[in-house]
Amino acid sequence: MPSPRFPIPQGTLDMLILQILTLEPAHGYSIAQRLEQISKAVVQVNQGSLYPALHRLEQKGWLAAEWKPSETGREAKFYSLTRAGRKQLAIEKESWARLTGAVQLIFNEGGRS
Amino acid sequence: MKRLLNWLRRGHLERDLDRELSYHIDRRVADLLASGVRESEARRRAVSEVGGLTQVREEVRDVWLTRWLRDFVYDLRFSARSFLRSPSFTVAVVLSLALGIGSTTAIYSLVDQVVLRALPVYEPERLVLVDWKGDQVADTRGSANLMSYPICRDLQMQDRFFTGVLCRHLTPANLSFGADPRQATVEIVSGSYFAVLGVRPALGRVLRAADDQPGANPVAVLEYGFWRTQLASAPEVVGRKIWINQQPVTVVGVAAETFRGIDIGEVPAVWIPVTLTAQTIPGWSPLNNRRNRWMQVLGRLQPGVTASQAQVGLQPWFKAMLEEDTRREDFPRITPERRARFLASAIAISPAPAGHSSLRLQFAKPLWVLLAATAVLLSLACLNVAGLFLARGSARERETRTRMALGASRARVGRQFLADSVFCALLGGSLGVIVAPIVLQTLLSFLSGDAVGDNNLQSGVNSRVLLFTLLVSTAAGVLSGLAPALQAGRDSLISSLKERGGTPFGGVRLRKAIITVQIAFTLILLVGAALFVRTLSALTGKGTGFSTTSLVSFGLTPSRNGYAPADASRLIRRIHDDVGALRGTESTAVAAMRLLTGGSWSNPLTIQAQERFGTGRDVRLNAISPAFFATLGARIVAGRDFEERDSLPSGATGWGAAIVNEAFVKRYFGGRSPLGARICLGEGPGRKPDIEIVGVVANFNYSGLRDESEQAYFPIFAGRPTAGHFYVRVRGTPEAAFQSIKGALHAADPSLPITYFSTVEEQVNRSLNTERMLAAVSGGFGMLALLLSLVGVYGVMSFVVTHRTREIGVRIALGASRSSALWLVLRDAIVMIAAGTAIALPCVWALGRLVESQLFGVRPTDPTTFTAATLVLVLTGFGAALIPAYRASSIDPTEALRFE
Repeated sequence: MPSPRFPIPQGTLDMLILQILTLEPAHGYSIAQRLEQISKAVVQVNQGSLYPALHRLEQKGWLAAEWKPSETGREAKFYSLTRAGRKQLAIEKESWARLTGAVQLIFNEGGRS
Repeated sequence: MKRLLNWLRRGHLERDLDRELSYHIDRRVADLLASGVRESEARRRAVSEVGGLTQVREEVRDVWLTRWLRDFVYDLRFSARSFLRSPSFTVAVVLSLALGIGSTTAIYSLVDQVVLRALPVYEPERLVLVDWKGDQVADTRGSANLMSYPICRDLQMQDRFFTGVLCRHLTPANLSFGADPRQATVEIVSGSYFAVLGVRPALGRVLRAADDQPGANPVAVLEYGFWRTQLASAPEVVGRKIWINQQPVTVVGVAAETFRGIDIGEVPAVWIPVTLTAQTIPGWSPLNNRRNRWMQVLGRLQPGVTASQAQVGLQPWFKAMLEEDTRREDFPRITPERRARFLASAIAISPAPAGHSSLRLQFAKPLWVLLAATAVLLSLACLNVAGLFLARGSARERETRTRMALGASRARVGRQFLADSVFCALLGGSLGVIVAPIVLQTLLSFLSGDAVGDNNLQSGVNSRVLLFTLLVSTAAGVLSGLAPALQAGRDSLISSLKERGGTPFGGVRLRKAIITVQIAFTLILLVGAALFVRTLSALTGKGTGFSTTSLVSFGLTPSRNGYAPADASRLIRRIHDDVGALRGTESTAVAAMRLLTGGSWSNPLTIQAQERFGTGRDVRLNAISPAFFATLGARIVAGRDFEERDSLPSGATGWGAAIVNEAFVKRYFGGRSPLGARICLGEGPGRKPDIEIVGVVANFNYSGLRDESEQAYFPIFAGRPTAGHFYVRVRGTPEAAFQSIKGALHAADPSLPITYFSTVEEQVNRSLNTERMLAAVSGGFGMLALLLSLVGVYGVMSFVVTHRTREIGVRIALGASRSSALWLVLRDAIVMIAAGTAIALPCVWALGRLVESQLFGVRPTDPTTFTAATLVLVLTGFGAALIPAYRASSIDPTEALRFE
């Protein structure tokens, strides 16, 4: 039986995209493949939000885009993190850690009593 | 900001996105094929995984561009398509708006030019008009706001308040460049004129302060348009001579192209300094005379000084000047009451960024009245359009419901309707901009008066007016669209998706309210139109008091052609006799002052009858030839007409006899016979009344059709006329008369130009220009308003009947009579008309007081007019409602119920 999948909020998708791009620039399809790996694992990522998210992040200045030849030889649009993007990712990670930490504390409290 | 840039690049962005998406899809399809999936299945899965191409594109577009702008453009395209599908609706709407916006633009353009626009000079907002409030005890020559030249010079020294002061006077004169003198308008100005206004020369130089000193060389500056049309912009004009009334004057320059004088109604051909006054107005030397008022005085305020500060600051100086004036030896002897009035005068300083113009004085108020009427018409057009749109909206009920079911918000649907009306308004506005110059041209024909020169009014539409039209169109669109936009989607979703007519009667109530307001506006316009038409017909019906058929008039001013006064008199006498001897002439007369131009020669008189008294106020005077009254057809009611013996000079002034009119007798003699009493010009102890009253003439109009003044006439040939206005009653056509009279003049002096030639009927029409304009325009508006209301009433009643067809069918099937069905519909119409009339009543009463000054022979609250207008409106509205009512009464119940 396939594991249950939870839909993730929009903000999280943005964070995942930024994270995926910390290693190296990638085009939309390879980001989608990586997300597919993630969603097979645990959560369901709606690929229909992928391209709107990419363009939104580009409009905000956290990603930069460039047309380069891809691994198949054909040209594809590669996205890469900008400095502002890296900073944003760090901020997002920090607030995510704080949030999960706080939620965990509440669960611990509830479990004890 | 980025979004704005994206808007411009959107084609490029779209292609980019398509490339990106097709790369993704192709890769996915390739992978799926590799893992054994069939081609078609692979393609479908790839696309659905990405989320549907259209949806993705939409969402990315939302990221790039502002939502509402995109939607709005989409809405406009949608509107355009749907309007093309229903042409009659579109035509009705666009035409209504075009008429409203076009007339508003035309009239605003006129108001802008005549009243509002500032002069194209340096800092026009610092210009002010200096005027004398009170009795100036001076002889007058000119239009309005006149002062003497010495006062102008005194004011030039008040440099605490003014950086400079100018004075000017417009007058006709004969101009020539060597041969063939022609009549033109000339502006006599102080040397400071161009400096104060800040106008530069286009060629040569402009007048300066040294030019108006006594003994300076006679110089002139040409107006740019005059230089261009009469001299073909010849660059060597500087230094050439121009002859003004046969006197040579050197041209020193041409004024800047944009400067056309300070009077919008009259553009002068040349500017000359005051030192040339005696040549230009022969027999008039007012330069050192404080008791001659003939120039308008304008000043430029010092920076930081306001008009009211200057006014307050100059009062002490002014009062001191008044005192000093009374002690001068040239101050006339006047009654103590008049002296008190003189000393109570005050100086008035008012802002004059638009210069001084008698055209403005005459037409400002009527133009504002017309603008108000136009605003009413525009509102009417908008209301009409709103009603039409509401009707269309309710016809599109199902479409609206479907859109809302698919997820559109009420605001979104409302915006669609708004886009519809803005689209129509912009279309109507553009059409209106095309229509406006035509309307403006018609209005300008009413404004052309007796001015010799051109006026400065243009029939083109300039950018300021264009901006105004755009604003008006958008406002019109928003207002018309507001009602249906607010109405959209108000009722519940389910009820309206039902097949049967779940009629949104809330929409009908709004439409009825709109129609009621329309009816009120229409009534206001109709009453206004009726009042102005009655004013015009009262004036034309009253007539001038003399017979104007086959009466022509022309003028001569020999003094401008170099004639000495004695020779001028002889010439006028000779022309009078020659023209009288012509075959086509029944009778001929000459007068010193022209009739029906709004101007006159006036003076108070001293009367010696039983006792001696002064008239206390001006009497209108003229000097005429013996056959004058006979030529005009004015009756002598007592005494006799002038005879040849009266033309021999006698007494101090030369006039031995006078004829007065009935109004004079009524006012100063209480109806007793004035024959034998003696009068003289002026008031005051030193006057000797020695002119005997020998006759009384019936009242007729002198200065204009509203004129009911006291008049006195003297025999012209006993004085020494230097100019004459001839009145000739002719047999045959005026054109034939013109030819034969020209022949007679040519025989007497070939080089003497006629200053004007027209029939007296034309003259009467011209004097009624304002009234004609008001009557024509408001009449046209009234008709349009009536038409719009008619369409509105018909529309809404039709709608009601259609939607209540089932109900009426049921009623009839259950036994109601057909006439009760008729009554059902008519009752609605009657309520709307009655309510509209009730709203209009207080508005008409309030507005009537504002237009009172324009009316004649009818009061603004005249009940007959109001009743007549209401009757017209009621009958029209009734007629419009009758057709749908008849339809209602002839509903076949079985047909109506079959719709189930």
